[in-house]
Amino acid sequence: MIAVAQLPVLCVLLAAGALAKVWTARGDAEPGALGRLGPAVLVPDRWRASAMLVCAAGEAALLAGLLASGHPAFRWATAGFFAMSTYVLWELRRQRPDVGCGCFGEVSAAPVGLRSLGRTTVLTAMAAGTVWAPPVSGWSLLTAMTWPDALAAAGGLVVLAALSPEIEEAAARIRHRAPCEQRPMPPEQALHRLRASPVWRAHERLLASGEPVDSWRELCWRFFVYPGRSRTDEPVDVVFAVYLSGRHPAVRVALVDAAGQPVDAGTLTESIPVSARG
Amino acid sequence: MPYRSVDRRRILAAAALGRSLDEPGPAHDEGGAFQAVTGELLDVSPHLILIETPEGRHERLVIAPWATAWRGENVAPADLPRGANVIIRALRSGRVVDRIWADITRITGVIRSIGAEGRDQTVELYCGPHRGHRTIVVPYGASGRLRVRHPKFEPGYLFDAIGVREDGVAKARLPATSQPPYRWTAVPKPPPGYGGTQSRISGTATWSDAFDYAERGAAYPMLERSDADCQDAGVSCTGLPYLALGSTLTVRNVCAGRTSTLPLAACGCMAGRFCDRCLECGTSPRGRIVELSATSFVELGGDLTKGCFNARIGPG
Repeated sequence: MIAVAQLPVLCVLLAAGALAKVWTARGDAEPGALGRLGPAVLVPDRWRASAMLVCAAGEAALLAGLLASGHPAFRWATAGFFAMSTYVLWELRRQRPDVGCGCFGEVSAAPVGLRSLGRTTVLTAMAAGTVWAPPVSGWSLLTAMTWPDALAAAGGLVVLAALSPEIEEAAARIRHRAPCEQRPMPPEQALHRLRASPVWRAHERLLASGEPVDSWRELCWRFFVYPGRSRTDEPVDVVFAVYLSGRHPAVRVALVDAAGQPVDAGTLTESIPVSARG
Repeated sequence: MPYRSVDRRRILAAAALGRSLDEPGPAHDEGGAFQAVTGELLDVSPHLILIETPEGRHERLVIAPWATAWRGENVAPADLPRGANVIIRALRSGRVVDRIWADITRITGVIRSIGAEGRDQTVELYCGPHRGHRTIVVPYGASGRLRVRHPKFEPGYLFDAIGVREDGVAKARLPATSQPPYRWTAVPKPPPGYGGTQSRISGTATWSDAFDYAERGAAYPMLERSDADCQDAGVSCTGLPYLALGSTLTVRNVCAGRTSTLPLAACGCMAGRFCDRCLECGTSPRGRIVELSATSFVELGGDLTKGCFNARIGPG
């Protein structure tokens, strides 16, 4: 019963994702403007809008199938879609740690984190759960929804909302009426967030000084540079990048030597691997 | 916070976010690139010009038959005086002169006081924390043209003109804009950004002489004050994203169809206060969003005496 009640939840998520993607892709007149939204960044510049529209079309097709029929093929396809999304987000996080998932268009500009990955994993599980549920169409389920079904669906939505960093960004936009890139943010607040992060704790022992030697803000990121020493005891700059939106923001770190070459931070516990390749 | 090198910031940011480290420069997909050549004029004839570049090299360029020069007014290239500081828009890998501007300067600031010197007027301007105060002369002959575009010719209002440097004195010749009607401390707030993030913003690009003649770079208004050591930064009548000294900015001249990626090398604290429009090829949709060095402005196809072009910018 709980499994089949997630069918309307999947439909809502697919509809929201498809609409938001179409909105973002159509509202974008300039090539290259999707440069910060994944997974479109993984394809060449000129195909980014098309890639986003193809993704939205796929979601719309799945939505139509789930609503109109109870055939297991659509449920398998939905599970496959979300499983593939999980892999793509994982790959995106590895290759381009600075870009957002683009799951709900440009409101998903926060870098892909464990929450976004958790959300696609939960969606995969929900979709897989519906495969063995009774073959009824999503529409008939929606029109004849019972109270227990509605409660189970609401529970699913709450879990997904907790895993959605977009909600914080949307709330901040309603409050401030400006996207993160345009909101003033005191450096002290970002420093506080950095010092509360596991990435800071994992790299703190590499730092030669507790005070940053340089700090600057670029779009929704604030950078802090500390003098430090690498594992081979050569002097390096340890640069932290803190995302300025959300309660538990993404923090990235890199070690760069005097010649400007990235240095491997070594196998530090709790550190997030950062690829220095473009 | 001590501020180190602009280049270093670019390298560190690229390493932290896993971005590719592209060198700033013009977009390569556009043919027939302009090149800006700057230096001191050593000799000029109707067909050849010899200049000494800031690095001390002597450059000999061919003057195209259609080439014109400007020094306070349009003149024939051969009439330029020896010793003038020139900026040349050159074609064919920088060998053929298309246009010459001599001793040109841009006077952008806030009027502090106005005095008189015979029939000419002297104006003291505040040009931001980096440029400080400067005193310029408004010659009697140019005052009508300047005053008609600067109706509030009084302390506390903005001033923007193009002029010539003669004997170390900047003399205004042409108005570079229609003066905004508000005081410089009363810049209108940008319209609220209801929509999402715009990754490309259209508006006006101007040039500034806060840079060296040969420097390539841009000045941008929306910097955090603590990062840029600039107490007048962070003001703009356009909703712009925050960037920092060391970020790169892609600037496209919409009128000429040329694009270049430039490093942010200065604080554009005066540019952000101009909510004027550029009328170069249609009216620009917004006020000033970026100030370019003279060299970058010329290489993007701008005309220094017109003072602006419609631009579209985005983070590099």
